[in-house]
Amino acid sequence: MSAGDVAVRVKGVSHQFGEASEAQYVRALADTSLDILRGELLCLIGPSGCGKSTLLNVIGGLLAPSGGTVEVAGKPVRGPMPRDIAFVFQENALFPWSTVMENIRLGMLFQGVPRAEHEPRAKQCLEAVGLSDFAHHYPGQLSGGMRQRAALARALALQTGILLMDEPFGALDEQTRMILGEDLSVLLARTEKTIVFVTHSLGEAVFLADRVAVFSARPGTIKKIIRVDEPHPRNPAFVTSEKFTTLRNELYALLHDEIRKAVAESGRAGNAGGSP
Amino acid sequence: MERRRQRTQQIASRAVQIGFLLALFALWYLATNRWGVNHLLLPNPIAVWHQLMDVLSTGEYLPDLRVTLTEVAAAFAIAVTSGTLVGYVVSRSRYLIRVFEPLFAGIYSIPIILFLPLYVLFFGLGPTSKIALGTTISFFPIVLSTIAGFSNVDRVLVTAARSMGASDYQMFRFVLLPAALPVILSGLRMGFTVALLSIIGSETIASLAGLGHHIVQLAEGMDMARMFAYIAFVVVIAALLNGVVSTLEARGRLR
Amino acid sequence: MKHSAPRQFLLRHPGLMRLGVIIAILVLWEIAARFLIDPLFIAPPSRVVASLGTVWHTTGVPAALRLTFFELAVAFAIAVVLGLTLGLAIGLQPFARRSVMPIVLLLYGMPQITILPIFILYFGIGAASKIAFGVSHGTFPIIIAIVAGVQNMKPILLASARSMGASRWQILRWVIFPHMIPSFFAGMRLGMSGVLLGVLLAELYVSTAGIGHFTTMFTESFDPTKLFGLIGMLAAMAIVLNELVRRAEIRFGRWR
Repeated sequence: MSAGDVAVRVKGVSHQFGEASEAQYVRALADTSLDILRGELLCLIGPSGCGKSTLLNVIGGLLAPSGGTVEVAGKPVRGPMPRDIAFVFQENALFPWSTVMENIRLGMLFQGVPRAEHEPRAKQCLEAVGLSDFAHHYPGQLSGGMRQRAALARALALQTGILLMDEPFGALDEQTRMILGEDLSVLLARTEKTIVFVTHSLGEAVFLADRVAVFSARPGTIKKIIRVDEPHPRNPAFVTSEKFTTLRNELYALLHDEIRKAVAESGRAGNAGGSP
Repeated sequence: MERRRQRTQQIASRAVQIGFLLALFALWYLATNRWGVNHLLLPNPIAVWHQLMDVLSTGEYLPDLRVTLTEVAAAFAIAVTSGTLVGYVVSRSRYLIRVFEPLFAGIYSIPIILFLPLYVLFFGLGPTSKIALGTTISFFPIVLSTIAGFSNVDRVLVTAARSMGASDYQMFRFVLLPAALPVILSGLRMGFTVALLSIIGSETIASLAGLGHHIVQLAEGMDMARMFAYIAFVVVIAALLNGVVSTLEARGRLR
Repeated sequence: MKHSAPRQFLLRHPGLMRLGVIIAILVLWEIAARFLIDPLFIAPPSRVVASLGTVWHTTGVPAALRLTFFELAVAFAIAVVLGLTLGLAIGLQPFARRSVMPIVLLLYGMPQITILPIFILYFGIGAASKIAFGVSHGTFPIIIAIVAGVQNMKPILLASARSMGASRWQILRWVIFPHMIPSFFAGMRLGMSGVLLGVLLAELYVSTAGIGHFTTMFTESFDPTKLFGLIGMLAAMAIVLNELVRRAEIRFGRWR
């Protein structure tokens, strides 16, 4: 693995919210280091509050970490990098007063794409996510799954090398998640983006990822990275294979204790002054 | 079956409302024409109607209407400009909101019309005092709704725009403003209504011209029929203006 | 930490900053009134406060203030009783609500200030017209708030009470009544604002011995000091009454 293959380098990133003396003090992320390779899909998975979303925001330049640095394509991250990094959030990130098409164009306007390219790029991305017929609908008229497709189209139109996705299917029902996951895999086999994908779902992580980074409970740090050696686009049949089950079980084993720890921690935080 | 029941209920309600209005008019007519109620207390509805037609045809209302409308327009314009500007500036900082929002809300909670004598002392009985009072009262719902509108923009939208590289201007024009607009518009509507009412009110209490003043003049001259006609006229004008403003607000929200 | 200690302190206490803003405004007012503007039109706050005693001892002023307070209290009481009874009567009967509410809303939207002269003509220039005008302004918001409160009632609560065998009276007493309390207090708050507006408008319009008389007197004799003082006292009365109702709402009205 030569240095040129690294798209994102995370070095010793840690983050806390609030002052050490305050009641709202939270150590979200402990010393975390990670090399994300160009063209891979890396999943971040872990119990609630383990800092995976925090890490994502740090990588994307939306949050300045308390400690450590992040380098994207060799450059240190100091703020949002719209030309290199695009985000897909869990929900509500589409502007409700604009149509799908207008949303995508606005994204390009913000990034600075020349006007002439807006229409062709938008059309292309809509087709890629399967929303060509809904270009002039408002987000309120679409289902949750379609809204997330639209959000993805907006991110794709920015033609960034890196895509950061924060539980993009978290608000959707199981069946929609399954379909969107398969479509995402097909889509990403075609492009060569580097994707960092935060999820809660074990099955989703194994199905989509090339590597899965498992986080410990808060303060989060990477416990182990698991490799999924399976070509993209992932075959839907992969889900029923033995390899899938083995990997999923491995994830479960790693996560189960961390999840229990996280629940116990949040319960303790709820009872102020209770004995541990 | 259910729809038929609903429809009968709807018709029945309508019937009650229409019946109420008819009964009211009937009582009015009977009271003045048959039961000998003093015409100085309650004028004959026919006489009121005639007076109303007279007022409308002679255009006697025009100078007063012009005065009142100019006062309302001026007060509203100043209140909108200052209110939205101040509201936007305050909304930029959570600290400023915590400092100023309770202050504005507190002042708005007392009947500001109370300060009318102060304005009359300072500006005289002319339109300036009415405009000043109208502006003052109208300012508060506008500034409060502007603050509310801008500070309640969904944070995710702002973050998304920021991640896509939006400049400050782009953020304001394409994210903050459209998101805040519905709330701001409803504040503007409230501001208009309140400006209109307080200006008519101040014309009633201390003025030399305007619709409110004219009604008082008629009352002092004991010209009951004409006064009733004028009141009806002013009520209709106010309803029309409020209706226009409400429609504009609704249109703005649809966008 | 980049900020200095005093700045940090102010940053943590927006309430103090607000106080600072108010003091700054008072200082500006003081300077403007003393040095910049003709003393015929404006009085500095220091002088206003100093002469509050004189205002209070002007013949008739304390009586006028007492009278205003009396009018406010009576108007509020009547508005509450009227608003509550009418509100419940309309709210609890769906047919009444559907027919009568549009009429109520229509009347509520009407600019009542236009019929102030009629109130004076009917009720005279004494306290009765002020009370009546106050009641007229204060009753509608209470009715509307109560009706809204009844409409908010979740049918499932009534269904479960009935399923447990509650009588009509028991449902009224133990389900509807407690549910209505927040709406009732919210309505009272709006009602108080309405009563304040109505009574004060009527007082300012015509008064031979009430506060309207004195505001006219002080205005015509170009005595801004006394005028500011009197209006200040009225404003204080309004603030106190508003606060009382607001506190009552917070204390008794919020189980949600």
